[in-house]
Formats: sequence, structure tokens, C-alpha cells
Amino acid sequence: MTILFFATDIHGSDICWSKFLNAGKFYEVDILILGGDMTGKAVVPFIHQGGKNYKVSLLEQDFPVTNDDELADLKKRVRSRGYYPYLTNPDEIAELEKDPEKVHKIFLQEVLKVFQQWMDLADKKLDESGMKVYCCPGNDDMEEVDEIVRASKRVTLAEGLVIPIDDDHEMIASGWSNRTPWDTHREEDEEQLKVRYEAMVSKLENPHNAIFNIHVPPYKSGLDEAPELDEDLRPVLAGQSLKPVGSTALRKVIEETKPLLGLHGHIHEGRGATRIGKTLCINPGSMYEQGTLLGAIITLGKNKIKNYVLTTG
Amino acid sequence: MSNLFIRKATGLVRSWSVMDAFVYAFFSINLVTLGLYSFSQMYYFEGGMINALIVSAIFIFFEVIVYAGLIAVMPRSGGDYVWQSRILGGAVGFILAVTGWWFILWLWVPLYGDMFRHIVLVPILGIFGAQNLALWFAGTQTGAFVASLITLAIVSVFITLGMKTYAKIQKYSFYGGVLGLLIVIVLLLTGSNAAFKAGLDANASSMFGAQAGVYDATAALGTEAGAITPLTGGTLLAVFLVLPYMVFFNLWPNWGATLYGEVRGATDFKRNISGMGWALGVTTVLGIVLFLAIRKTIGWDFYVQAGGAWWNYAWGYTDVVPALPIWPYPALLASFLTTSRLVQFIVVVLMSLWWFGWCGTVFLSSTRVIFAAAFDRLLPERVADVNERTGTPVNALLLMVVPSILVAYLFSYNIANFQTLTLCSTLVIAVTYLGTTISAIILPYTKPDLYKASPIAKYNVLGIPLITVAGVIFGGFLVFLLYQWLFDPNGLYGIGLSNKSSVVYMLGMYVLAGVIYFGFKSARKRQGIDMDKVQSEIPVE
Repeated sequence: MTILFFATDIHGSDICWSKFLNAGKFYEVDILILGGDMTGKAVVPFIHQGGKNYKVSLLEQDFPVTNDDELADLKKRVRSRGYYPYLTNPDEIAELEKDPEKVHKIFLQEVLKVFQQWMDLADKKLDESGMKVYCCPGNDDMEEVDEIVRASKRVTLAEGLVIPIDDDHEMIASGWSNRTPWDTHREEDEEQLKVRYEAMVSKLENPHNAIFNIHVPPYKSGLDEAPELDEDLRPVLAGQSLKPVGSTALRKVIEETKPLLGLHGHIHEGRGATRIGKTLCINPGSMYEQGTLLGAIITLGKNKIKNYVLTTG
Repeated sequence: MSNLFIRKATGLVRSWSVMDAFVYAFFSINLVTLGLYSFSQMYYFEGGMINALIVSAIFIFFEVIVYAGLIAVMPRSGGDYVWQSRILGGAVGFILAVTGWWFILWLWVPLYGDMFRHIVLVPILGIFGAQNLALWFAGTQTGAFVASLITLAIVSVFITLGMKTYAKIQKYSFYGGVLGLLIVIVLLLTGSNAAFKAGLDANASSMFGAQAGVYDATAALGTEAGAITPLTGGTLLAVFLVLPYMVFFNLWPNWGATLYGEVRGATDFKRNISGMGWALGVTTVLGIVLFLAIRKTIGWDFYVQAGGAWWNYAWGYTDVVPALPIWPYPALLASFLTTSRLVQFIVVVLMSLWWFGWCGTVFLSSTRVIFAAAFDRLLPERVADVNERTGTPVNALLLMVVPSILVAYLFSYNIANFQTLTLCSTLVIAVTYLGTTISAIILPYTKPDLYKASPIAKYNVLGIPLITVAGVIFGGFLVFLLYQWLFDPNGLYGIGLSNKSSVVYMLGMYVLAGVIYFGFKSARKRQGIDMDKVQSEIPVE
């Protein structure tokens, strides 16, 4: 019997990463798996105003900083939402506004800095635990983060691999998604996704006992219901109108292969569990902005899911 | 100057339209269905109706702030269930959510059915000359039960069509319904009392077989029934005593608020308040305008007396069939000002859209709660099954429909005095709201990091967080309502501790919720799942 903990879409939240690393001991599980979208979505400039003063705007509210304690507190607050604080000055801000390429570089620099801190923390925290940890960056994660994960002692980059979980179960993993309106880092057409999935499936010894750790949920699974958007990316009908946005290629592969378990994310509102045939598919959802780590604990038995539960940590 | 650099990432959407949010909230506090239905029952109060509308709206605006605040701090989390679970604990969250968003909706089904027959079936059948069938629906217990069954069928179809389709139906219903209401108001404002009396005599007779002199006879019956509610005035206490009935209609601007989407900043917090707040304000103003229009042509006293005459009969205080043998539906009464059957039909059909655009809400929220509980393993996994071909949540729907049929039967045939339970439908949800409101009050103190990193962190009143201040005011209002409902010192609401059926029904629901929660918790424990642990916060350090 092997017990897994799966979480996903933590989007740069320090709190969620710490909780993820602690989840093994807390829930008494054997293996930790983090789905994709580990990086944050925004950089918050702390604009130097002279002395120890900074001007910061978070969530459309201005927070004047006048001393070191306030600076540290606000940095922590920004990080708790998965955003990246960036100390700068009015001249640089004026420059950045004119040059999106420089903004991109700063973004990447801050993302990689935090990513490195996370891997260091994992190596330190899990050094003597023997806990297996697998990460698979998602469509929102830049390719540059892969190298940092590869260099980690305790965290294994799972993208594209077939990983033996225990004597009976293997896991395939991919953070690539079908096309989104945001043209993100790892997305491709359904035909290409199908090729990607089939390449991994072909290497499985026993596909029926496999775990599909695939960031995007299968199409029309109920785990992929997202608010319908108009052409300006505005939710229509006050967000009441939901539509399936999952991968048709993944659904087909699951229907054909009939794996034991599907672990998904991508759609934060899509928290739930469902069955496609006999395959249990789970999307634990995400509430990373609130520092809450949503997850799932799955107990694998021989040739079956012995039990599962969604968690709110 | 830039205060945030955002990169391309999944889910970064623009703000939803305030208008869309307004439509949903506007239909949730539905002036025509909930409003006219409850106003007609409030015939025996001493406080002015306009005063009560305004005072209740003021208190409910604080509810809007509470919910907009919680959405800003914990967006897209699923609403009351998650807010209460996280702040007050899993048991409280589950019990209050399933009673307030699921079980009590069983009782709402016969109420929706009652409104359906009075607002849709009876007027349309009357206009088409199907007098006997109209009167059968209007005045018989079996008619009421069948109307509930039809309601269940319609709502089930809406669930099968899905939220996306229903949201569109709702939007079209909004425009059609508002047009209908405007026609009604214009008819009333341009008509005269004499023309109305003549129209009532003629149409009530031809459509529903009423005898000549129906106006005076109805007024007399209403007076006999104790109809006294004034349009304005009354002491402050008298006005406040109207509120526990009034909120049956307007306590719900937050009904769909948890779906409004991502809140990225203070602007979105204000947008949430705007959507719900404008709905509350516009509905209140429309209510006042409608009351004044009714006073001008129908006559306020007659309107209240007609309500008294009908409900005195419907509630079984008299066996004498009212002179006007149907529920006094103001839209239909206004249509009597014209002799054109076509215009009457158009008015009634447009006004029926208020019901069709609203009725789906009875189950949509319930299915969400049932699914959430199943995902938390507090219900069997199968209740969250969705039929692959139709996309229908079959088992969740059954958990709504089957008990609703039983409750509709009890209500329609008034078994065990079930028709006295109308306001229980509001009380139980108010208890759920109270749980959420307490969560809001203590949120800045129990989850300071979460609160401080939220878009509402800087909104304070005299140094106290706005969400806490709003919560205390709205919570105080809810406590007042609950006191009046439960202890009912003036004998006005009929659902208090003195009503055995009411106590048994409500207590039964809470016991059932508790049994499910603790039963499943215990069963999961035996399966090796510690429910307390899976809902506890993981240590960060």
C-alpha cells in the first residue's frame, strides 16, 4: 500500500510550497507530487522614495513603507499571494514601462530566484526524510525552471518520464496543456498532445495500473469547467456561464488506456473527483492566493485505489 | 506609473460585467415572485410597507458588504460552506451549508410551485378561457401539488440544460420581465380607480366566474380577515416587526455572488458591492414605485384587503371562497385595465419571465453544495455522478427532487400544518448567513495574514475593519429576525417555538445534517481517513 499526496497550481506562493513540503509528515504519506503552475503571475514594484521609504501598491491599495519592519512585512504579504516583490526606483520604472523585454527579464530573474530558494528549502527540509517528491511544471511555468528542479537533490522533475511509484504502479507526467487564450509557455494543439501522451503510455509496463499526472484535465470531465470568457477575456454572465476547457486528446487516451488514476490541475475552480470509465480523475483545485494548499491523498492498493480524499490545508 | 507587472498566465481574466452581476442579484431578490407573493401575505401588520422596504434594504446593504468582503478575501472558494468550514470548523460549515443551501430548498419547492400557479398558470389559463382549469389550479390542494410537480420538472430541465444555458435564459427573462413590469406600472399610473373597478368586475367574471360587485365584496372579506397594513407610517417598532416577513423577499442579493470570479483588487471588491447593491437599491425603488402605482389605481386598501381575503381562505381560517377566487396578482389586475385579451396575454407572459428566470436557482446552488460535500467524502462519491450523455447530475438531482415531492405533498395538502412553515424557508437560510456573518466578523482577527494580504485590508471604520463593522450590524439584524421568528412575542410569524411542526421540521433538518456529518466522519475514520486532519491547516514552518 502506497499513499500519495497531490497538490497543484501553487503559483509562486511561499506558504503553499512550505505546506507542500510539510504535507508528507502531516498527512503521513509516502510520496509527494506537485502538479504544474508553480510560478507566480505578477511582480510588485517597491518604488524607492528616498531613505527607507517605498511606495507599494498591492491589490489596488497603496501601502507606504517607512522602515525596515514595514518593508519586511509587506514583502512577506506580497509573497503570500504568490507575487514577487521587486525593489526599484522611479527611473527604472519609467524605463521598464517603455521596454517590455526588460520586464520579462526581471520577471524571469525573480521567478528563478524564488524557484532556487524553494529547491534549497526542499533539500534542507526533506534531507533525512526519505520522502520522494515529484514536480512537473505546468503550462504557466517557463522552461528555465526545469534546470533548477533537475539540480535539486530531493525533488525529481517528472516531465515526460515514466516513474515507478512502487512495485505495482507507474506514473507518467506532463505539464503541457491544450491551447489557452493566454498563449502560455507550454501549450500545444491537441494532436501534438496526443503524440506526447502516447509516447509515454507506450513505455508503461502495465497501463491499467498507471497514474496519469497530467496538468490539464480531460475534456468534459467536470474537472475542467471554467468561466466562459468573451473576446476581451471578460467572464460572461457574471461568471455564471461555465464551459469545459480540458484536453480532448487526454480524454481519448484515458478512455483507451484506462489507467488507474488521473491527477490534474490547471482549472482552479474545477476542484473535484470523477470517474472516466474506471479511471478515478482528481483535480484538487487551487486557493493559492489565500495560502491554502488544496490537495488530495490517495491510497493505492494492489490494482486499485484503496481510498482517496480531497484536503484543505 | 506601473504598480504591478503581470505576465501572461492562465486565468488572468478581466473583471466581469457589473451589469451581469446586477442581473443575477436582481433576480435573486425577485420583486414579482418573492415580492408580490409575500407582500400579499403581509396584510395584518401596523408598520408601513414602504418604510419596511427601505429599512430592510439598509440592513441588507450591510449583508452585501459582508459577502463582497468575504469574496474579496476568499474568492472562488465556494461560498458559505468553505468560509464557515475554514473559520468556524468543518462541522459547523457542513451543517449550516447543507441545511441552508440544500435541505431547506425542499421547502422552497412548494413555494416556487405556489408562485408558479398564481403568477403563470392561473392568469394564462384565465385569459385563454380555461376557467375551470384555472380555478382548479388556483383553489385546490391537488392543483397546488401538481403545480409543484410541474415546477420540479421545469427546474430539472434547466439543470439538465446546464448553467451556461440557464444564465442566458435568465438574461433574456430579465429584459422581458422588466419590460412587462414597466407596462404594468404604466397601466396602473395611467388608469383610474373607477376604470379598475369596472375592469375587475368584467374580467374577474368572464375569466374566473366572479359575481358582480367583486371589488366591494373582496374589500369586505379583507376587512373581516383583519387587513390593515398601511402603505407608509407606523411606529418604529411596528415597522421593525414587518421586517421578519419582508426579508422573505429581499434577503438574497448575495445568492450568486460567490461565482462572480477572481477578485484582483479593491476595484473588484467595489464591483461586487455595486452588482449586489444596485440590485438591492433598484429593486427597493421599483417596489416603492409599484406600491404607489397600486395605490393610485387599484387602491392600497383594496390591495391589502384582497391579499387578506385570499390568504385567510388559503390558510384555512375560513371556508368561504373569496369573491375574487384567485390570488390577487397585481400584474393581472393591472391588465384588467385593458379590454384587449392580447395585451393582457402579453403582460402576463412577460411578467411570467420573472418566474422562469428565477426558478432555476432553487436547485443550482443545492447541487453545488452536494458536489462539494461528496468531494469532501462527507457524502457517497456517487452523488456527484454526472450522466455522460446529458451532463445531468442525476443523483444530486434525485436528492433534491425526491424529498421535494414529499415536502410539496405535505405543504399542498397542509398535512401537519405544513403551510404554516413558509417563513421557515427564510429562517434556516438566515441561520446559515449568521454563521457566515460571524465568520466575517472574526476573520481579520483569526486569519490576520490572510486578511492583511487581501484587497479589503485598508477599509476600516474608526480603525475597525469594515467587514467586522458590517458583520456586526448585519449579524445584529439577523439576531433580531431570529428572535422574532423563534419567540414571536407578538404572534406575527407563526413559525416560532409554539409551532410544533415548525420546530420538528427545522430541528429534524439540523439533526439529519449532524447525523450525516458525524456518521460519514466516523465511517471515513474506519477507512483510515481523519476528516479533522484533512480539513486542518498544514503547519507552514
